[in-house]
Amino acid sequence: MNISPTEAEQALEAIQNIMEKTRWAILNSGAYIFQIVWGFIWLLGFLGNHFFDLKTSGFIWMGLDILGGVLSVIVGIRMGQNVRSPSGTVIGKRIAWFWLLLFLYCFALRAVVSPLDGKQMAMLIILFVMIGWIAMGLLLSLDSVWWGLVITSLSLIGYFLLPDIFYLWMAFLGGGGMIALGIYIRYRW
Amino acid sequence: MAELNETIHQPVRLRIMAVLVTLKVDEEVDFTYLRDLLEVTDGNLGAHLRKLEESGFITINKLFVDRKPRTFISANQEGRKVFAEHVAALESILKNK
Repeated sequence: MNISPTEAEQALEAIQNIMEKTRWAILNSGAYIFQIVWGFIWLLGFLGNHFFDLKTSGFIWMGLDILGGVLSVIVGIRMGQNVRSPSGTVIGKRIAWFWLLLFLYCFALRAVVSPLDGKQMAMLIILFVMIGWIAMGLLLSLDSVWWGLVITSLSLIGYFLLPDIFYLWMAFLGGGGMIALGIYIRYRW
Repeated sequence: MAELNETIHQPVRLRIMAVLVTLKVDEEVDFTYLRDLLEVTDGNLGAHLRKLEESGFITINKLFVDRKPRTFISANQEGRKVFAEHVAALESILKNK
């Protein structure tokens, strides 16, 4: 079989393009859904913090977190159905256990350092969630690490420098930012 | 010396193999997911997968997941070896131009 250098170059380019697309798609196939789901949860949760009292917003967060947790499990299971492997199933289960333990540690820490005001509680949970996201990024996709650091930085800026509008800041920059990033990842290809 | 493989060189099959070798050795990809990734039709993909399977380059695994029939595809050892040789041959053509 003989082909021209031009045809060889085009074939190699096609190979490279689809391999890059595959890597990106696999790494982010579910990530964009997580970001959009939790983006909406943050948007609604923090708007609840801004407009309602602490007790009411606490119930709102509880409901949203349960919903987010259930959707995350469903998405995680579906992700595992696109590309399967024996080792992937083991890793998926470990990831689920990691998040469960992280939240348990977060609640334990909250109990130890209580009482906390609303903003302190929110910031504590944000930091734990971001630690989790960055850990996932280090394990699975380095691209995710940078946005975890960005969200953390924005959160700290809002907490220390903009206390009066902290909840609105988190709703639109944190929640809105995650939604926007999820949409960007979804439509990148 | 690495040789070009006519079966693999067909554009859609070349891209199929490129996707499959991107996966880890113990990973297999869902048919529908592969179809969407490659932006081809079911029939088109099915025909090319049959050709690759007949040539001994891929493994097609049909099973039930949540009581729904699913098809998973992976590149086998021979397929990975032949694809690597094909890529090496392409690179050699470019180097010698």
